[in-house]
Amino acid sequence: MGNQKLYKGSLQTIILKLLEQNDKMYGYEITQKVKELTKGELKITEGALYPALHKLEADGLLDVEVAKVDNRLRKYYKLTENGTKETVSRLAEMEDFLRTMQTLVNPKFSLE
Amino acid sequence: MNKKITLTDEHIQQLYKFTHQHYVEHFDVQTELVDHLANDIEQIWKEQPKLSFEQARDISFKKFGVFGFMDMYEARKGALNKKYFKILMKYAKDWFRLPKIFLTISLFLFFYYGLKSVYFDYFYFSSFTILLVFGIIKGTLLIRKIKKKQLVTKRKWLLDDIIYKGTFVGGLMLFVNINNIVSLGDLDASNKYFSLFFAIIFTFLCIWEHLTLNVLPAKSEELLEKQYPEYKLV
Repeated sequence: MGNQKLYKGSLQTIILKLLEQNDKMYGYEITQKVKELTKGELKITEGALYPALHKLEADGLLDVEVAKVDNRLRKYYKLTENGTKETVSRLAEMEDFLRTMQTLVNPKFSLE
Repeated sequence: MNKKITLTDEHIQQLYKFTHQHYVEHFDVQTELVDHLANDIEQIWKEQPKLSFEQARDISFKKFGVFGFMDMYEARKGALNKKYFKILMKYAKDWFRLPKIFLTISLFLFFYYGLKSVYFDYFYFSSFTILLVFGIIKGTLLIRKIKKKQLVTKRKWLLDDIIYKGTFVGGLMLFVNINNIVSLGDLDASNKYFSLFFAIIFTFLCIWEHLTLNVLPAKSEELLEKQYPEYKLV
């Protein structure tokens, strides 16, 4: 398992990206999907996931839907119109950040 | 041993009780936790089918960390408080637009000239007392009403509690702080800004009390239906 602290600041962006690809998801599904995609490298803790989801919802980036599944109620999250726009801008920010980190960590030397 | 992979209705009810025992009283927060725990227990059973329901539940609960459900609960409360404030602001804006702005200006002028009059001290004291007493009485009645509703429906919704109870303590703190401003800020009647300052404060208090104690509680059902898609489902 990698250093979870490095992922901490990116949790909201990860959630937004997943919802962009999956239309609607519920909390547990998000944790499992991240585990599956990163082959267990990143485990989103319950204590971090829900506060992040609730914050995104309060900021108007996520909308909720509730459905009865089996014998219980399930709360699904999906992107709002603002959420879709915000995902694009946060992903661009994330790519910039990754490029900067790449330059810092692994600089390419040239003879010029 | 052939263990059931889907939880029974009884298990679900036990999970609701479990969240309640861990200080989560509100149905909306409980519901999300119950579904999460249920999914995790089913997953744990797939990997370790010999575990009892309680053992699997405890393994799942430990994943929430040392504070249990508290982090999630506090985050939910924070998010809904933010939402409540946004709703409040939406209604408050009406008081600064036509036609209600005339009422706001009238209120301001009433307080301004009252505080400029020779009886300013009686006027200040009566305005302060009326607003405080009205707030306490109405706030107490609202708390009684929500308790009665929760007793009948046997369910508590976090936003409902914020609408009915949240403003009560906050409101009392506001009054205490106004008194502190007066005593600390050397604001007496000889100060030329005295009438202006308190006319603004009292006008805001009137609007704020009206919105938090009359308007929003009256609209609580509508707000709850909008916030909770499950409100009509249960």
